[in-house]
Amino acid sequence: MSFEPKIVAFCCNWCSYAAADLAGTARMQYPHNVRIVRVMCSGMVHPEFIMDALSQGADGVMVLG
Amino acid sequence: MLGTKKVGSVMIVGGGVTGMQAALDLADSGYYVYLVEKSGAIGGAMAQLDKTFPTNDCSM
Amino acid sequence: MTLSEVVGVDGIAGDFNVTVKESPRYVDVDKCIACGACTEKCPKKVDSEYDAATGKRKAIYVKYAQAVPLKYQIDPNSCIRLKKPGACGFCETVCDAGAINFNDTEKMHQINVGAIVLAPGFEAYDPTEAGVWGFGTNPNVITALQLERYLSASGPTEGHLIRPSDGKPARKVAFLQCVGSRDENLCGNGYCSSVCCMYAIKEAVIAKDHVPGLQTTIFYMDMRTHGKEFDLYLERAKNDSGVRFVRCRVNGVETDGVGGDCRLSYVNEDGRQLEEFYDLVVLSVGLQTPKHVLELAKTADIKLTAANFAATSDFAPVQTSREGIFTCGAIAGPKDIPQSVVEGSAAAAAVSDLLAPARHELTSEPSFPTEKDITGEEPRIGVFVCHCGSNIAGVVDVKSVEDYAATLPDVVYVERNLFSCSQDTQDMITKRIQEQNLNRIVIAACTPRTHEPLFRETLKAAGLNEYLVEMANIRNHDSWVHVQDPKGATAKAKDLVRMAVAKVTYGDSLRPISVPITQKCLVIGGGVAGMTSALNLAEQGFEVDLVEQTDTLGGNALHLKHTWSGEHVPTQVAKLVDKVMRNEKILLHKEARVSAVEGFVGNFRSTVTTKDGKTKVVEHGAGIIATGGEPFTPTEYNYDSITRVVTSVQFDKLFELKEQHVKSARRFVFIQCVGSREGDNMYCSKVCCTHSVQSAIALKKENPERNVYILYRDMRTYGQRESLYKQARKLGVVFINYELHGKPKVSEAGNMVAVEVWDHVLHRPLKIECDLVILATAVRPKVDASDLGKLYKVPVDGHGFFQEAHAKLRPVDFSTDGMFVAGLAHYPKPIEESVAQALAASSRAATLLSKTSVSLDAIKATVDENYCDGCALCVDVCPYHAISLVDRPEGNGKIIRVNKAQCKGCGLCQGTCPKRGVFVAGFTMQQISAQVQAALAV
Repeated sequence: MSFEPKIVAFCCNWCSYAAADLAGTARMQYPHNVRIVRVMCSGMVHPEFIMDALSQGADGVMVLG
Repeated sequence: MLGTKKVGSVMIVGGGVTGMQAALDLADSGYYVYLVEKSGAIGGAMAQLDKTFPTNDCSM
Repeated sequence: MTLSEVVGVDGIAGDFNVTVKESPRYVDVDKCIACGACTEKCPKKVDSEYDAATGKRKAIYVKYAQAVPLKYQIDPNSCIRLKKPGACGFCETVCDAGAINFNDTEKMHQINVGAIVLAPGFEAYDPTEAGVWGFGTNPNVITALQLERYLSASGPTEGHLIRPSDGKPARKVAFLQCVGSRDENLCGNGYCSSVCCMYAIKEAVIAKDHVPGLQTTIFYMDMRTHGKEFDLYLERAKNDSGVRFVRCRVNGVETDGVGGDCRLSYVNEDGRQLEEFYDLVVLSVGLQTPKHVLELAKTADIKLTAANFAATSDFAPVQTSREGIFTCGAIAGPKDIPQSVVEGSAAAAAVSDLLAPARHELTSEPSFPTEKDITGEEPRIGVFVCHCGSNIAGVVDVKSVEDYAATLPDVVYVERNLFSCSQDTQDMITKRIQEQNLNRIVIAACTPRTHEPLFRETLKAAGLNEYLVEMANIRNHDSWVHVQDPKGATAKAKDLVRMAVAKVTYGDSLRPISVPITQKCLVIGGGVAGMTSALNLAEQGFEVDLVEQTDTLGGNALHLKHTWSGEHVPTQVAKLVDKVMRNEKILLHKEARVSAVEGFVGNFRSTVTTKDGKTKVVEHGAGIIATGGEPFTPTEYNYDSITRVVTSVQFDKLFELKEQHVKSARRFVFIQCVGSREGDNMYCSKVCCTHSVQSAIALKKENPERNVYILYRDMRTYGQRESLYKQARKLGVVFINYELHGKPKVSEAGNMVAVEVWDHVLHRPLKIECDLVILATAVRPKVDASDLGKLYKVPVDGHGFFQEAHAKLRPVDFSTDGMFVAGLAHYPKPIEESVAQALAASSRAATLLSKTSVSLDAIKATVDENYCDGCALCVDVCPYHAISLVDRPEGNGKIIRVNKAQCKGCGLCQGTCPKRGVFVAGFTMQQISAQVQAALAV
């Protein structure tokens, strides 16, 4: 079986989360490997979350804001 | 001549940035607002512009 | 009310009856879920109005992707079915929601209102008929609005700049200014549209960003970048972006050969006839009043100016000729976004003044059942999976998501709905919450950004705390973006549901914070702006404290004689002062200043200190800064040593008093931009061009034999002021353009003053011997502006003017809640703009003051006393100054305190804290960790 990475993305409610919504409205297609966690601002993302994600098996973490 | 009757509602004709600002302010200060827009959606000319600062959508 | 037009206005101010005609949409907005299936199937394509005909839309369409309401509509002029009954009808077949209604009809509504605000906007000038620019015949000649769409990522070329004729990338672009403006021959619009210079520069800069190496040239007559920060933008465009500026009027555009090149011919400043070739020519089209607005004006029975804009007074810029009907935005003259937004608020203030007695009469607060206390209860989670018609169910196997959800810990109830957002499903969810005794809810559907408020209401209706709901976005983030991968999408949907369940498990009941409001306003500054604000708020019924530094009300307007439209300033200011003095709700503090401030929105406490040292503490819910500006004292042109060199304000006095040496003088030279638009003062003072032109007209009218010269850099008689410029030229005033590197030289020549300047028409230096030199001096900010700013934690910009929260959309708000700005304190501006801004500030303040308390979202930073050790790292990172360091009540060290009224819930503190001492309610460390863990489980 081919490698299927798991990516965790922290998205700011006001910009990148909204952008991901719009990508849906526009029916833009992308791989299903990303899991979005909504935050109220990318500044809210504690370094611990990134460490946690990586140690629990995430192949990549994105912080978008 | 000003009538004695005062109705607590306002009609705003035009749903561009200007009309929306007037509508929001009035609704926030205790008046019932009718926002009348000629086209199928509010937003007006500003929504057509590519780059104005942050956002083109409105939060009605 | 969309697709609606006003067709009749009866009655009087306070009690109008308006007839509104609503055209059929042919789509039921209550049923339409904006899935877009109809548009996909619709076979009919027409030019998109939104894309200014650069792109196409279908006959059933939504105006644009972010439209509000996000509901589709059928254009009856292009729909096949509506034109021919029985034909087509594909949209009806594919609409799962059953929203299509071909039998929809026009409706008439009678609406009773107290006031009417007209904000119908403008239309862009259509250059087709004028012919000379080749618009409509050469596809490579486009309007600036079309270029906006080409540059937009959501536009027809997704932001790629191409030549429409052959799709080749554009390398050379020319912008032609004043198309449909300042031109009575071709279009009949003599006025200046005020916004085109700025938008052309912006488009040129952005186009260069899009296409590396792109050459852009702007052909203009005068660069009118008179707004705040605009001149800095112009300088950056010239120096950093390399946009080329050529001062001339281009005669026309011709198509050259078969390649689609555009040939421009023009006469440059040296008088030479030149030709240049471009891939693309952009016409900077002006603004004009559309026909339907002229009809509206007729229906509303309001007066218009000669240029077809609504007629208003400079001291009442949003009041039309008919009482109770107000205007704002471009209907009352061409203007930019910030000024339009200002006028929107200003119109609201004027309406409030009229209708204050009826405030709150027609609005009501909804009521909800008492909220259930869930403390100590084990989680009982209900999961509702939405099909969204076929939007989700067409890709995701919703049945297997439902089955999976039921296996998750603490999930006690699962159900699927066709449309979770429909009213009957809402009622059903309310019933299930009560029946099943659910205490936490997950909605697996669309985005919380649009639908969370709806489901919060549903929880409230069921007696559950509104924050106990979490949404799993299995539509926008899943089914819509993984159409080709149903298996992957279904697996992702399960993950998203698991994440939402994990997060909501740790959810708590949260209470919105309620902050009481002192329903009083403090206005600082007793000039026209300050007095206008104070008076409007007082007439709306609020108490106002007005603080004036000097012993006289009136401010800078005391030095002015006439507004641009000719209204007598002293009479109007006297009226205003009189009204302020008589108003019982206004408490005036003369010779006073604010010396100390504490508190925050709704609850400020300002200390007002008078000249004799007496202090008084004023409590107020909102504050308006209208401290004005100062006239600049020139340091050049031998102002100090030659008595015949005076400032424009000094000249006004001499002229009014009919001083002998002015009365008998024959030659006058005005020098513009003294102290403006150079060095550290790279801003336009906005009022001086019009002021000098008016003075020149007065001099010429008094004695046509006089010689009057105006030496200028760019003549900025924007908007309908252009008529003054035209009048001055007609009267024989001589306008001579100079550049910054060739400033005029002023010297004494016996009894006269000699002015030397380079003449661009004659190409040689010109020496004018004159009786009087008048310097059009800059408007400066108050020197102590930043001191006052520090007290209220509001910033000043690089020039020392107060900085608003957002240049476009929040032009009178400060980033500090509850504080507002108006008048020259914000930026130099003429009286009618100061008055509009003052009214706008009042309106914004009134949105706060009309309530006894303000309810804020519960998503706020919260201190965990067990972990916070007072390290204060979070204090500095908080962008809203909401966190302070205080002594622990027990006396053992420090702890932070969050002011919830100032906190916006961004969580920078949470991201910074190394000890878990502060968290954001609703987004706690525990909740997000649980979500991350759930995302990676399995």
